[in-house]
Amino acid sequence: MTMIESQGRAANDRRSTEAPKPARRPRSRYRVGYGYWWWALPAVVLMIVLIYLAIASGAFYAFTNWTGIGSFDFIGLKNFRRIFQTAELTGALKNSLILGFGFLVFTNILGLLFALALNRRLKTRHLLRVLLFMPVVIAPIAVSYIWKFIFAYEGPLNQVLGAIGLKSWQHDWLTDPKLALAAVLVVMVWQNTGMVMVIYLAGLATVPAELEEAAAIDGAGAFRRFRAITIPMIQPSIAIATTLMLIQGFRIFDQVLALTGGGPAGATQTLATEVYQQTFVFTNFGFGAALALVLSVLIFIVTIVQQYATRDRT
Amino acid sequence: MTLPTTQRRSAVLALPLAAALMLAACGSGGTNGGNDPHTITLSYASANPTDQVYEVLAKDYMAAHPGVNIKTNRIALNAANQTLTTQMQAGNGPDVMWINAGAGQAASIGHLAKAGKLLPLTDPSLKSIIPATELEGYSSNGTLYGVPSSSMISGIVYNDEVAKQNGVTITPSSTLQDVISQCGAVKAKGKAIFGLAGSIPENSGIMAMEIATSTVYGSNPNWNQDRAADKTTFENTPGWHQALQAVIDLNKSGCFQAGAAGAGFDTLTNYESQGKIFGFFAPSGATKDIMDSAHGAVKLIALPFPAPQGTKTYMTLSADLGLAGNKNSKNPKLVEDFIKFSVSPAEAKKFADAQGAIPIGNVDSSDLLPQYQKVAGLLKGQQYRPYGVDGWQNGQVYNALGTGTTGLITGQKSIDDVLKMMDAAWSS
Repeated sequence: MTMIESQGRAANDRRSTEAPKPARRPRSRYRVGYGYWWWALPAVVLMIVLIYLAIASGAFYAFTNWTGIGSFDFIGLKNFRRIFQTAELTGALKNSLILGFGFLVFTNILGLLFALALNRRLKTRHLLRVLLFMPVVIAPIAVSYIWKFIFAYEGPLNQVLGAIGLKSWQHDWLTDPKLALAAVLVVMVWQNTGMVMVIYLAGLATVPAELEEAAAIDGAGAFRRFRAITIPMIQPSIAIATTLMLIQGFRIFDQVLALTGGGPAGATQTLATEVYQQTFVFTNFGFGAALALVLSVLIFIVTIVQQYATRDRT
Repeated sequence: MTLPTTQRRSAVLALPLAAALMLAACGSGGTNGGNDPHTITLSYASANPTDQVYEVLAKDYMAAHPGVNIKTNRIALNAANQTLTTQMQAGNGPDVMWINAGAGQAASIGHLAKAGKLLPLTDPSLKSIIPATELEGYSSNGTLYGVPSSSMISGIVYNDEVAKQNGVTITPSSTLQDVISQCGAVKAKGKAIFGLAGSIPENSGIMAMEIATSTVYGSNPNWNQDRAADKTTFENTPGWHQALQAVIDLNKSGCFQAGAAGAGFDTLTNYESQGKIFGFFAPSGATKDIMDSAHGAVKLIALPFPAPQGTKTYMTLSADLGLAGNKNSKNPKLVEDFIKFSVSPAEAKKFADAQGAIPIGNVDSSDLLPQYQKVAGLLKGQQYRPYGVDGWQNGQVYNALGTGTTGLITGQKSIDDVLKMMDAAWSS
């Protein structure tokens, strides 16, 4: 346990051992003041009605053959059986997993490296932080169209490769089934690394420099200090960054739609783009709801596992 | 600080109530003409905000029928399917609406008629106005629910002048082999005869359909009915194999621009304006749009896709956009009369000219715009077939064709793969 944490826990322990003050009885049974729970009631009701009930009704439609208009029949698990028996849809599930975990790994590694590099010392760190964070504030769809232009067959990337004598490296990046998914992942990582960097910078700000200096004096090398001091102290940041990136990676939509439209020939379809296509293009609302439910359950399970893996073990 | 109890209770109650009222207000924005016997509403979809064809149609009707009021409502094309379906489901749809033929789209005759939302058109004269080949797309279970607004050729939007300058000649009597034999020389110049937006399944799909019009529907105009009756499948039809083999041959011969599989419509526009491609696959109305945008600097024509040698070339004549009425309209007679008015010869011609299309009904070559003069003979000789997709069960079949065709170009799919995908989509 770190010194800082020890001090914080001691303070908490003191507070918890103090005798509780007797609760003040309200003068009137109906008298209320600010801070009472039911002031949140309208918002809670709206949230339940507009979000949770909508999700629940969506889940209900997953067991129907509703087409968005007219009546529907209850068809049990037929939609779910179709999902797992259709190669195109299992391919979309596989792509979602690749993008979700790839996004999680690359954004966190790069974000942490940038955060460590720009945490202290470097004079231009503030400017570099701004530059790295800037892609985050641009709309994903706009970023995707810029990259679509870059990746185009006669786009800047191939032109640069040609200009420096690497013509054999030129590719039709978004059309090659082996490269298209990787190209989508590159765009996602490029745009979101800045966000992860900021989360880690916030975490690194809580690591006292004196502690690292003391460890250095005691002979701990850079990697040892990173493993034994930095990582444990930024554990909450790791939990937040990995959770957010995992969820974002699984529900990726804009970038796929703008860069490849799910192509070539379905090679970059994800569960999210399939939900959109089945529901709003093909008007298979029931089937689209089933896909959405699968996606939600997948995110839920993976997030629980991930939360467990990154829990605070101190 | 505290508030009096009554005020606090009121505030707590008022918030959800206000929210409920706001939500109710959102849902009550109906477009139906209501109980006024002389007023109807018309919703139409258009990608172009300055598109006036439906406004002109409504004004012409009002001028011919004093006292009648038509309220028009333009819907952005990309939101039209969802908007109309939601309105119809909620019971506040327009009296008359823009609609797709067949059952491949959300706002389509097949889809809305099956849900019992469309007004049956009972005037017997309507069936004689609509080309027999288009009746299927506007009917459901033998009942007519809509009329097409104009016809277009789904073929090659072609710049004949630029092609000839580059030594390329394609005419309505050319064969696929004639085209393929010219592709190599064009490719050597860094150009291509055809532009393909392979990243957009609809563009790959329309190309394959144009070929299939000759190889499948040319010899068997009732192929869709046979497929619906399970008398045949995509996989077992030689014409489908022939059509997809033609795509592979065109690709191998360099007939498409480099990077065709990943290209979008922006590539087609850029390459066409730079003279890097001579034609692309689209409904023929695109000829007018492009020529108007270029202010006469470009001259385009519409051509059918040349069939493989030994197969007669048929043109794809598509009338997949039209008008239909709302079954819940308070003024069904007025609705049907307006729909009938839209296909009267004068209005049909005016509408078609404004859209760069071919008028509905019996067409004389003098009725045709200049871009259609090369195919006037094919039209007169009825050497055409309707757009096969209009008779397909659902939109997934066409999507399977489009993505599969791109897959043929990238090498991801074989012909059998694509046809199996289409059969599976048909049955889904």
